[in-house]
Amino acid sequence: MNFLDHAYQLILGFFAAVGFAVYFSAPLESIFASGVAGGLAWLVYYVILKMTGNKIIGTFLGAFLAGILGEFLAIKLKKPATVFIIPGIIALVPGAGMYYTMFYLVQREYLQAAIIGSETLFMASAIAIGVIVSTIFSRSLRHFRKMGN
Amino acid sequence: MNHFKIKDNDEAKKLMKLALSAGETLLKNGAEAYRVEDTMERMCSSRENIHNVNSFVTQTGVFLTFEHEDKTYVNFRRVRGTAMNLKRIHLVNQFSRDFVFKNISIDEGLNIIQDINNTKSFTRLDKAVFGAAACAFFTLMFGGNLRDFIASYLVSFLTVLLLNITTEFKLTFFIENFLGAFLASLFSCITVVIGLGANLDKIIIGSIMHLVPGVPITNAIRDLMSGDSLTGLSKGMEAIFSAVAIAFGVGIVLSLYMGGIIR
Repeated sequence: MNFLDHAYQLILGFFAAVGFAVYFSAPLESIFASGVAGGLAWLVYYVILKMTGNKIIGTFLGAFLAGILGEFLAIKLKKPATVFIIPGIIALVPGAGMYYTMFYLVQREYLQAAIIGSETLFMASAIAIGVIVSTIFSRSLRHFRKMGN
Repeated sequence: MNHFKIKDNDEAKKLMKLALSAGETLLKNGAEAYRVEDTMERMCSSRENIHNVNSFVTQTGVFLTFEHEDKTYVNFRRVRGTAMNLKRIHLVNQFSRDFVFKNISIDEGLNIIQDINNTKSFTRLDKAVFGAAACAFFTLMFGGNLRDFIASYLVSFLTVLLLNITTEFKLTFFIENFLGAFLASLFSCITVVIGLGANLDKIIIGSIMHLVPGVPITNAIRDLMSGDSLTGLSKGMEAIFSAVAIAFGVGIVLSLYMGGIIR
């Protein structure tokens, strides 16, 4: 059951990323790869959320994975990493948080709105930090390899 | 290091034009500021007798200056309206690499950039079909059921198509986002009222996903952290205002719906 659920989430993430890759006019030969990156990033977010109940750390780790995969695919397929990272992180974007913030504001539940709003803001920053950390990580990895040779 | 040289004034002016066009194309299609600056600087300094290359990129313009023999060249381009196009970013990236390592003439380069600006990988209909599918899958990811999936697909397909028409009028990003969110949540309410959709919140969340400025916010924070404060701030401000516009659009429909006006 657990495995099936995870496979289902992976497939959902894959198709969402593929859809956005086309929406952002990605090069045709990169679309499948960015779909895989998006699916895996979403799966990591989902698993971490189920395990810890913390959305922010899940977002961070998902974005980190998307960034690492993006850097890896960039070398393999000879395209800038952005082409893979942008469809990869799109699933983590806190659209739901934005919606619920507005929902509670409309209902004049300002405390709830502030709680969810600040969480949304932190999730957005977590994506950015995840991507940056992965970029720095892969760059220093390349650097170490060069030194090893 | 190569030994390609810029012959005279005319060619230096053309190089300026080429580098600015490349930078403009990158920025227009959603590249990050540091990539644009890096590309322009590399392209210019690859020619042997070009010195002191400096570029400065903000969300709304690209600036470039370099020295050739004893003359300084300065120019800038105002950039209006960005739309994500990953293929063009990839193509310019590839071209700038070729330009640095091969002896591509500048006229040829200008033609290539023009071709890149005219490439179309997907038609509007393709984008609407796939964008709507992505939105519908988001509805499932946030816990919607099959009925919500279908409703969200229809809603976002219609919204993307309608937004394509309104972009012709060159409205600002604020109005466009507002209109998109307004239409998406209005259609979502309608699907719930006629009994197609089950969970209104899931349908709206999915359908506004193609508007939500997640990528600009991420890029803005990246720019801020890497020290491009001005770009980061302007891009971040634009992203926040898009988010505010979306929130207004959704909020108006929600308050009408909850007030019992749309039922």
